[in-house]
Amino acid sequence: MSFEELEHTADVLMRVRGADLAEIFAEAGRAMFHVMYGPCEDRGITREVSLEAGSLETLLIDYLSELLFITEVENTVFCTFDVDIQGTRLSATARGEPFDPARHSGGTLVKGISYFDLEIVKEEKGYVVEIIFDI
Amino acid sequence: MLAGINKIGDLEWEVPIGYVPNMRVPGRFFLSRALTETLEEGAVRQLANVATLPGIVKHSLAMPDIHWGYGFPIGGVAAFDMTEGVISPGGVGFDINCGVRLITTPLTEADLAGKKRELIERLFAVVPTGVGAKSTMRVSNKELSDIMVDGARWAVEHGLGTEADLARCEGEGAMPGADPEAVSAKARQRGVPQIGTLGAGNHFLEVQVAREIVDPDAAKTFGIAEGQVCFMVHCGSRGLGHQVATDHLRVLESALARYQIKLPDRQLACAPVDSPEGRAYYGGMVCAANYAWANRQVIMHEARKVFAQLFGIDYDEMRLIYDVAHNVAKFEHHNVDGASVEVCVHRKGATRAFGPGAAGIPHEYAAVGQPVIIPGSMGTSSYLLHGTAAAMEKTFGSTCHGAGRVLSRSKAKKEVSGKELREHLAEEGVIVRAHSDSALAEEAPGVYKPSGEVVRVVHEAGLSEIVARLEPLGVIKG
Repeated sequence: MSFEELEHTADVLMRVRGADLAEIFAEAGRAMFHVMYGPCEDRGITREVSLEAGSLETLLIDYLSELLFITEVENTVFCTFDVDIQGTRLSATARGEPFDPARHSGGTLVKGISYFDLEIVKEEKGYVVEIIFDI
Repeated sequence: MLAGINKIGDLEWEVPIGYVPNMRVPGRFFLSRALTETLEEGAVRQLANVATLPGIVKHSLAMPDIHWGYGFPIGGVAAFDMTEGVISPGGVGFDINCGVRLITTPLTEADLAGKKRELIERLFAVVPTGVGAKSTMRVSNKELSDIMVDGARWAVEHGLGTEADLARCEGEGAMPGADPEAVSAKARQRGVPQIGTLGAGNHFLEVQVAREIVDPDAAKTFGIAEGQVCFMVHCGSRGLGHQVATDHLRVLESALARYQIKLPDRQLACAPVDSPEGRAYYGGMVCAANYAWANRQVIMHEARKVFAQLFGIDYDEMRLIYDVAHNVAKFEHHNVDGASVEVCVHRKGATRAFGPGAAGIPHEYAAVGQPVIIPGSMGTSSYLLHGTAAAMEKTFGSTCHGAGRVLSRSKAKKEVSGKELREHLAEEGVIVRAHSDSALAEEAPGVYKPSGEVVRVVHEAGLSEIVARLEPLGVIKG
């Protein structure tokens, strides 16, 4: 559904909302790539990610960390994410474009995803999570 | 000052046991009245959380650039017993061995007249910067292993520096105990194409002038004189270090139950220093730290070549004063209750500041103490200081690492225009070169505590003493 940046002096703190868990994971991916590169378009590059973890929170960290790894070694920028969550298993398709310094230099490097206060909370109308990106 | 904190000295404050549940020792931090206005409750809570970790020795400490991070506060220092204590990636951070080095040149400001912009453009051309930057060097996986074990020495052995450079790095540019087996294939994949790259965020290469010499004797020992043009390199272990931290944090987090460690914050995930998981993290962290020393050595080499070509000076006339790490965990001997004890000291956004005569500092600096380099934020003063006996006694030989942010990046972007900032700094004679103006806004001087105030506090608290103040002339940013 959405993500918004909250006040944090040292790092980037994002509040991410989704109607369901799949949407939370998709939006969290979008939030991270927004921090790193600014605007991005789907130009036909796709990448599959499959992961399993002991908890949803760990799964979220693993998934974002995996995307960080992929963007860096494959020089791709992702903008949309189709995610399927079954229990604590994830399969996702990320879509985007090749990294282009002329268009993708407006953001900042994310070094890692913090476990600090990371909790996926169920609300009346869906889910919310606050994520600290170390930059 | 926040409630529940006791003043125990002019610049020293105590966070008593009980501030958060299960603290084993009190917290202590150093701050002036002026800086207390920017102190976040979250940062103090993080300082107190560190005091709950098993085997913590004496105090959970923070330097005057303390601010809210994750796990340890930024500016946090803590030492742990080698048998009862733990090692934690949350006490080091994702950017393992982020650090700074300072190099002098034989030039004065007048020598730069008419050539400053060209100098900055040439530096920008040879040092890859920013998100997505890749190295022009080609290293094999075998060479990467050598880098992770030998650190700056690897670069010197490949002609990228001199033997004298190594003597003037913390730990001679490499820590012992590297375990390349503890570095994943993913970390290697990220490390191979990035050696010699600056990175993004607050990392920079800055050309500076030594504007004021505060301690002439120490300045003479360190080889810096008023009016001398210098340059400073601030960067870390790049994607390799980030991946090592990510990988081991995951392992340590899942091992908490095995060691029956209960934490107030999962980012403090840790394991006993002498456990399989603890040893593996240490071995991987050392690899990343050594990669960072090699990285700064390569960048310095490229910058030296630019200066040599443009100004017709000799490579050897550009002398490295020192290279310090400010995100690292190390095994060191410290005086605890009258005895010299080996402890695992974590410094997260804090600089080692060993005093005169301490083991592990260059022989030529032994009488003064190690050089401490505190980078300013963009467009503001940086400082050269020296370590002290008081730091050895109070802070496990540690001091501050920088200015410490007071404004979030999102607010900075709203309040500051990167383009206006660049133009304003140019009017003041500071040339700034970056890939995007928006990255500049995030690092504008106003988003940091005044570096002068932070340095004044460590000077007056005796944790390190000012030797020289440097002012920026031009900077390349990630």
